[in-house]
Amino acid sequence: MSLITPTRHKGSQKGGARRAENNRIYAHPLPLVFSAPEPHSKFGHVLGLFGPNTRLENPHCEGIFDPATRSVWVTNEKDSMILWRRGFFGKGNLSRSEPSWLARQINARKAAGKYMTSEEIREKRRAERKQFKMDRAAAIAKAAAEAEAAFAEGREAGPAFIPSGATWKPQPSSELSLPSEPPEDQSMDVAEELEPLEDVEHLQLTLQEAFFLIWNLDCLTVLDPHTHEPMSLREIWQTFQDVHCITPGLPVYAHRFDNPFLVNYAAYHYYRSLGWVVKGGIKFCVDLLLYKRGPVFHHAEFAIVVIPVYEDPADKESSPFNLPNADTFSWSWLSTINRVNAQVQKTLILTYVTIPAQSRVSADLLSSPACLAHYSVRDVVLRRFIPARMRD
Amino acid sequence: MDDNLELPTATPKPEASQDREEEEQSSGDEDQGPDWTKIPGLNVARPVIPKRGEKDFEPTAQGGSGLQRHVLDRSRSAMLEALKATRTISHKSVSHAIWYPQLKRAHVTVARGIHFSTMGHSVARASAESEGAKKVQKRLELLPEEALYLVERGAMYCWEPTDLPLHHTVHLDDMEGVPMSVQQAYAEMIGADELTFERYQVYAYLRRLGYVVTRTKPPSPDYPVPPPFPSVTRASASIVNRLLNTVTSFLSRFVRIFTGGRDWWRPICFSRWLHYNMTNKSLFKSLRFLPSGYDVPLHVQRAPEAPPTPYQIFYNLYKPSTPFKKTAPPLPDFSVVVVNARTTPMPTISELTDLFGELPELPPPAPRKRMSFSQQKQASASAPQSKQTAPQDPVLQPWSFRRSLAWIWPLSQTNENAKTPARPTNPFPSLKTGKKMVVVAAVDAGTISFFRFGQGVFTEWPMA
Repeated sequence: MSLITPTRHKGSQKGGARRAENNRIYAHPLPLVFSAPEPHSKFGHVLGLFGPNTRLENPHCEGIFDPATRSVWVTNEKDSMILWRRGFFGKGNLSRSEPSWLARQINARKAAGKYMTSEEIREKRRAERKQFKMDRAAAIAKAAAEAEAAFAEGREAGPAFIPSGATWKPQPSSELSLPSEPPEDQSMDVAEELEPLEDVEHLQLTLQEAFFLIWNLDCLTVLDPHTHEPMSLREIWQTFQDVHCITPGLPVYAHRFDNPFLVNYAAYHYYRSLGWVVKGGIKFCVDLLLYKRGPVFHHAEFAIVVIPVYEDPADKESSPFNLPNADTFSWSWLSTINRVNAQVQKTLILTYVTIPAQSRVSADLLSSPACLAHYSVRDVVLRRFIPARMRD
Repeated sequence: MDDNLELPTATPKPEASQDREEEEQSSGDEDQGPDWTKIPGLNVARPVIPKRGEKDFEPTAQGGSGLQRHVLDRSRSAMLEALKATRTISHKSVSHAIWYPQLKRAHVTVARGIHFSTMGHSVARASAESEGAKKVQKRLELLPEEALYLVERGAMYCWEPTDLPLHHTVHLDDMEGVPMSVQQAYAEMIGADELTFERYQVYAYLRRLGYVVTRTKPPSPDYPVPPPFPSVTRASASIVNRLLNTVTSFLSRFVRIFTGGRDWWRPICFSRWLHYNMTNKSLFKSLRFLPSGYDVPLHVQRAPEAPPTPYQIFYNLYKPSTPFKKTAPPLPDFSVVVVNARTTPMPTISELTDLFGELPELPPPAPRKRMSFSQQKQASASAPQSKQTAPQDPVLQPWSFRRSLAWIWPLSQTNENAKTPARPTNPFPSLKTGKKMVVVAAVDAGTISFFRFGQGVFTEWPMA
């Protein structure tokens, strides 16, 4: 497996090669890998029909539970890379998504500008876009001044050239260099002078992600923050719910089907089990974003608003949790969310998660994940309907 | 955008079809104001539909510029001219009707123009004149929104019966009653027969765009209604589905007997024998064990004293291109719910489920064809012919039917695939449209926002 190659070629390659590289790096949609050994002979092939011919490779990652941030920290670089590359789980705490802090630092020191991380590409793009907007504004102002002068003289103004996104090209000689490029003459000895870099970044998993990996795939061990001992599944089940309680153990919190962890997990598991890569969507006023194969392949196609629905309104009255979106939101807020997401080519999905009524489902089920079988998830696609464009 | 709605238009517009995806949700041209300089002012009976233009004036830091002020003044005076013009209509083309407040209907006495091919319905009423032998006569009557729309448009004169002695007027001597002003028509017709102000605004907006709009719930037994939505989809699929369901449920029960039910602490079993030949696909499939989708019973309780839901389908909508017969209306293209955005919150999942229950399954969106510019031109040239046949039967190939039978034909499909390497069906058009669709018009003081709520099909289109 070439999963732990530290070389980073992103940005230095053109479309096709990079896509092939991504297909290789991110070949596995889940941390578990099924590998079929090559049949050595016909005899082996026949044997394979009877015996197990698929080998299961479980990476057995390790993380530590952090109650303050309600997340699980994966500090081991190898584990965090496996979790990111096989299914895009988690997020680097010092990076936008992939934990790339160390690579960025190394780049800044040695190979300045040769290889670019996604953060650096983004910075470059933003600088270019800013320059484009300035150029365009200048061109518009110039055209307006020209038209004004022509009007004062009583003649028609000539056609003006205003750059558009399609025609504008960044000037190669402009000062749009990389922000972290050291001067040429110093680059030789800088690397020696500075003390060796230590990776201070960790991968943080949301509780939903962590529980998905622990419960279904059994490929993550979570350590207790105090004892540093592995937590049992029962402990994890209770702890992940308790972090949402201000004082855990109070009777108000006992036997609640509307614990935020349970509601969010039901939605997360639903989309993960359908093969989507699920990431947070706070940037787009939504709860979740769905990627087809992963963020490196496509933009997110769908923006998910998780809407909890109480089966019994009485449960809502007595709830100690103030679940977001439990009350139907107004049309203006719906328009707001939909406008934001239409702007970035995402389709808005309202995901309704029903919370089982305490009168219907026995509270004993909450002691194990068996209670999850009583939640149900429905999605509603929301789009604007524009009669003026639907006439044919 | 519905791909099946993306039929080529009569005028070749190559760039429009390319930009459609990006443009489709943007505010676009319908939100801008009209370009008044393009509207001829005085002495025009038929106003020209205004074209939209650029912004004439933008405030700048240096203050107003002479050129901009000039352009702005020109537009402003053009608008005032256009608004000043008297709206006129020839008495040869105006229709006449008598509004009966008790009946809440307008009886059309003189019908002129094309409006009546899609508006009004005929009702048998006992005519008042012959008191001895009650003669029943068919006559053309308008619903309040239809009458109000025609009055506001200036296409119809409305009268109200009165007991007062009437003066003799030239041309109008055969009318019994007093003429109604537009204001009076608004005052009397809004509120009649469930017509709220919001519903009228939606009706008038859609009518002006050329849609045919009818009531979903017939206000009277004489009102023509479309045939009920076909439930073919369920009937035809049920045989296969039921068979499949019984087999699978039997199998799962069988397995459960041997395995002793699901271990909820270890939902996925990776025993040495069971993950034999396991793949990512089968692993994802076994992950889908939590209930989801619309087939799962919805246990949401409803308060018994709750008021009736405002989420009732009120209008049937027909595209201008749909062949419409007034006496036998076809199945509607869209179903519209009208609510007041200020007083009505968004629909709950129970309300949406009820709405979806009334609606038919949409056919799967047709795959978008990649065409060159010349092909597009050709297609748009031949569009009028193909348009006749295409939208005829929306339930010819119902969704679930096709999907449920897909497993029968794998052999034939692989044969075809060997010849022409067909692309797998793109799930995104289906995912973005949904299986059933209802249009909700949320009206906020005259501003109408239309939203389409689609029944999601994520469970039917897994990514892995």
